[in-house]
Amino acid sequence: MTETVITELNPAVAASEVLEALGSVYDPELGVDVVNLGMVYAVSIAGSAVSVEMTLTTPGCPLHATIETHVTQTLLGLRGVQAVDVQIVWDPPWTPSSMSPVAKRALGF
Amino acid sequence: MNAGRDAVRPLLPASAIVAGAAALFATTLFLLAQPAVLTQHVGSPRLIALTHGFTLGFVTLVYLGTLQQLPAVMFVTRLVWPRLGYATLATFAAGAAVLVFGFGSGMRTVLLATGGTLVCLALGLALLQLLLTARTRPPRDAASRALITAVVYLFVTVVLGLALAAVRARPALAGTLGYDASFHQYVGLLGAFLLGIAGAGQKLLSMFALSKGGPAWRLRVMAYLVHASVLSLVLGAVVQRTVAGNAASNAASAGAWLSSLAVLALAGAAALQVWEVFALLARRLRKRLEAPVRRYVIAHAFLPVSGVLVLVGQREAATAAFLLGFVGLAVSGMLVKILSFLTWTAAYAPPFAPHSAQRAAGAPGGPSTTTTTARQPPPPPLLRDLLRPELEPVTTWGLAGGTVAAVVAMLGAWPPAATGAALLLAVGALAQVAQVVHIVIAVSRAGRTHRGARPGRPAPHGGVTS
Repeated sequence: MTETVITELNPAVAASEVLEALGSVYDPELGVDVVNLGMVYAVSIAGSAVSVEMTLTTPGCPLHATIETHVTQTLLGLRGVQAVDVQIVWDPPWTPSSMSPVAKRALGF
Repeated sequence: MNAGRDAVRPLLPASAIVAGAAALFATTLFLLAQPAVLTQHVGSPRLIALTHGFTLGFVTLVYLGTLQQLPAVMFVTRLVWPRLGYATLATFAAGAAVLVFGFGSGMRTVLLATGGTLVCLALGLALLQLLLTARTRPPRDAASRALITAVVYLFVTVVLGLALAAVRARPALAGTLGYDASFHQYVGLLGAFLLGIAGAGQKLLSMFALSKGGPAWRLRVMAYLVHASVLSLVLGAVVQRTVAGNAASNAASAGAWLSSLAVLALAGAAALQVWEVFALLARRLRKRLEAPVRRYVIAHAFLPVSGVLVLVGQREAATAAFLLGFVGLAVSGMLVKILSFLTWTAAYAPPFAPHSAQRAAGAPGGPSTTTTTARQPPPPPLLRDLLRPELEPVTTWGLAGGTVAAVVAMLGAWPPAATGAALLLAVGALAQVAQVVHIVIAVSRAGRTHRGARPGRPAPHGGVTS
């Protein structure tokens, strides 16, 4: 499964809190959160600014902007977070091996 | 390139899909009122009206609505001239209604010419928009190319239909153009519908079943076989029409040979499509398929049925199995998934620039928020929660059972089977309409709640927000 790369510099919020919050953002089609789906590649926290590098299952996914917004809204809801930057990347592409065992079970494995 | 953000407003394609579902129900009501149509001659005006109500009002309208969204997803680019969709869909809906009424009222030439012209114009605009979109980022995958080719075939189909209407209006033209509806039918059935479902279906099934798919050669070969099939039919007809005198018997046998070749190519294309679907399913990550996706898969059972009927010389029944069973179930399954996506996206569209956002002063959780309160928006629903699950099997088995009964009615000219077919199809179509209406209402209610609770709006009872 995807190992999320965490970078912290005088963080105003703990990385564990950020990941926990991202765990509440669901892919509405699959019904599994973006962390367990292995979509979150990297989280950088510099002071009160959080940057997230993530992917989606399919390039051109119509839910692209909406999921991006939900990530942003969710992180802005955390105490100490002042700015959020979400980058959607396609390299490396998402693969099934990115998923956690929880996600695999949820999808019927 | 951000396809999602640049896509056309989702309500336009969603409206076309809802209208398509309503047209399907209207068509089945027409059949329910006159089930004997199914046992009439294939050239009967009412049967032609019914067929066009289904192919234009339902299938093509849903297809055109999907084309307002799908190219952006498939080509990973933005749709060119997104507002053109309003003109395309309005022109098409008006043209299709006039055309169907023209057929139903006894082939009234003026109505056929008017409706046909409007439909041609609309499909010409849709094709132009698709080609210009493809030019911004030329697609290299077989699925996208199949989709473009299918729309070209769809345009050719309606042009051929208009030519038939012209021949009807000016019988003198029959000597030059002939009056052979088979080109119009084959190009539409094979080129537009089979190839269109194969192209769009490969992408959509991959998305909904989380399948990475297999080698692209199947879809490429399938497209070549469809071209070969259509070409063989055209050549066969041309040979038979142009060669006369002593060579006529040779021309007839050449025509028959080309016709057999066309059927063989068609059988190969259909077999490849079934193979492709099974290959996608075999490599899927999502083991439990949702009911609409299962309906799309079940549709493929009608391809071999249709093939067997062609082989035994029952072309009308084969056409019914292909159109109602394969095309009908496939489109009906995918439209539910596409509509949920579109309405969900419309309801939960980003309220602000999502790339980089900053908290406004005083917003919850910030440094100065100790005395502020705000309601967090409720989480958006999952797409599967938007459906009424009990309606899905009614749609699937209503449409599938109705197709089987319609084929039986056509094979045996058996009126009770025709009545049963009409009833089953109407029940299936009604369940489909109920589902799409439910999706639209469910999403708009949830969307209102979500927007009402969004931080940044004044909270009720004097709560302070940003």
